Amino acid sequence: MRRTFVQSLALYATVVFTLAMILFPVYWLLVTALSTTDELYRLPPTFWPTDPQWDIFARVWAAKPILLWLWNSMLAAIGSVALSMLVSVSAGYALSRYSMRGGATMGMFVLTAKMLPATLLVIPLFSIFSSFGLIGSLWTLVLAHSTMIIPFATWMLKGYFDTIPKELEQAAMVDGCSPVGAMVRVVLPIATPGLAATALYAFVLSWSDYAYARTFLVNSPDNWTANLGITTMQGEYVTYWNDISAASVFIALPIIAIYLFLERYLVGGLTAGAEK
Amino acid sequence: MANISIRNVSKSYGALNVLRPFSLEIENGEFVVLVGPSGCGKSTMLKILAGLEPASEGQIIIGDREVTDLAPGDRDIAMVFQNYALYPHLTVRQNIGFGLKMRGTDKTEIDRRVDDAARILEVTPYLDRKPKDLSGGQRQRVALGRAIVRQPQAFLMDEPLSNLDAKLRVHMRAEIGALHKRIGVTTVYVTHDQVEAMTMADRVVIMQGGIIQQIAAPDELFNNPANLFVAGFIGSPGMNFLNADLRDGRLTAFGQQLTLPRATSHQGPVVVGLRPEHLTLGEGSVTFGVRPTLVESLGSEKYVYFGAEEARIADGEEGKSKGLIARVSHSGNLPRDQELRLGFDPGQLYLFDAKTGERL
Repeated sequence: MRRTFVQSLALYATVVFTLAMILFPVYWLLVTALSTTDELYRLPPTFWPTDPQWDIFARVWAAKPILLWLWNSMLAAIGSVALSMLVSVSAGYALSRYSMRGGATMGMFVLTAKMLPATLLVIPLFSIFSSFGLIGSLWTLVLAHSTMIIPFATWMLKGYFDTIPKELEQAAMVDGCSPVGAMVRVVLPIATPGLAATALYAFVLSWSDYAYARTFLVNSPDNWTANLGITTMQGEYVTYWNDISAASVFIALPIIAIYLFLERYLVGGLTAGAEK
Repeated sequence: MANISIRNVSKSYGALNVLRPFSLEIENGEFVVLVGPSGCGKSTMLKILAGLEPASEGQIIIGDREVTDLAPGDRDIAMVFQNYALYPHLTVRQNIGFGLKMRGTDKTEIDRRVDDAARILEVTPYLDRKPKDLSGGQRQRVALGRAIVRQPQAFLMDEPLSNLDAKLRVHMRAEIGALHKRIGVTTVYVTHDQVEAMTMADRVVIMQGGIIQQIAAPDELFNNPANLFVAGFIGSPGMNFLNADLRDGRLTAFGQQLTLPRATSHQGPVVVGLRPEHLTLGEGSVTFGVRPTLVESLGSEKYVYFGAEEARIADGEEGKSKGLIARVSHSGNLPRDQELRLGFDPGQLYLFDAKTGERL
């Protein structure tokens, strides 16, 4: 059906408006980083600095251990993703493929854990980590983030595995695979888009955490993550928002890079051709 | 190639018996078709044979090995699935060679055998394509290729043609038949389509409610059905059934007293079966008048639907709600609501016990 001019106009206006809503914070982050302090407080605000401070990135990079913070965030996120995916893939596959007594209830119970706010778990987790002598270690973040990620990731993956025909595994087993072999050789390669989406979700969740890092790592500056590090740039009397914004740009870059890397795996339709 | 022995295999889920003790001896190289309506247990039996479902009881022997508790991959069988089950992330070549790779076959040997299978099934030009780039018929050929390349002891096929359109189904039916003749591997084929069963099988196993109703060659099934279910299932259109009374060798049906050519000691109510093609237009040994409720034309022949007082047994059964059917050769116009004379030979009647449904 051909669109009329008015319909096309409405469609493009909606797209532009939505994009503007999504991209405005990113744009404003960049404008804040490049503006001088005086310009930041000027009214009415300027939408592009008269004299962009491009050297701010080099200054902030030199003044703060950004690389160390990024490295710690990366370690915590990769650890959380690895642990969560290991557990969630197995649990999601089991919930999807095997019927067991109380399986459905168990599945719902897993999801209930996701419904608890993260702050509710801070105190019990602190107590547990403290008794194991882990406070100050990045392992606290790996474990704490996994408790947030696993419930939802398990259900995300279960939903994805449900869409993969069981006959593919049965065919693989007739062809000589063990049940685990059929999962590894046939199901997981087909589930790549689901795995990529879940891994991205897990990575972003871990990368954006502040509450757990603030609670478990505050006294260990060598293990500060990027989000925790940035908050230490807030002064008691004066806050240089342009410095904080510049540091925030550095922190956003890895997420964009990860997204671009995983994008090729996020395409659907990999099971096309398996069945009629 | 091997013979298959299924001995008292049953399957139950708690109190639900989906397969009653099932025994079948399949000869080396034989093509056996399991046929029956949905939920009759035919696919369950095939999955048990493949090792994809455990049997609750019984024994399965393929060749001279008991395989009842072996994993599917250790049974030396190949299976073709209803929905093809091709690995979508692999090319046609990798799909066909997957089973050989899993068994540690040398790569040169895999390539040779894949090329051979592809040539037999005429899929050589598509070896480097992914399944999504193939048509339904080509996908089905690749699924067959995956089965034959391993040179297994037996093929198991689970409704492999039911996803194809009618024309392609007829074509593939012939191809599978020709393939079986060429390589001669023992084949167990599951379908709900009695035409597939009749045209492909050396022997047909008819099932209903998890119970074998009859095991026989296609012609034997058609000519000598063991019970009402088999008689009604085999044949298209299905056999007509009428309630009747049998006294001293005389049958009351179509408002007439008929003398049966065969002697039977049975007395009392019976179900009479009469195949639609055994009814002819015009006079016969027994003739009666009908007023058609519907006439369907297939060109050279017509299906004439009509009601009969005795045809109460058919009520509620699928396809029978229109009453009785006569399949007559006639290329002209047969008007509805105008009385027709139909005839039949009493020697072609089938009699069934009204209580047990068994053939008399």
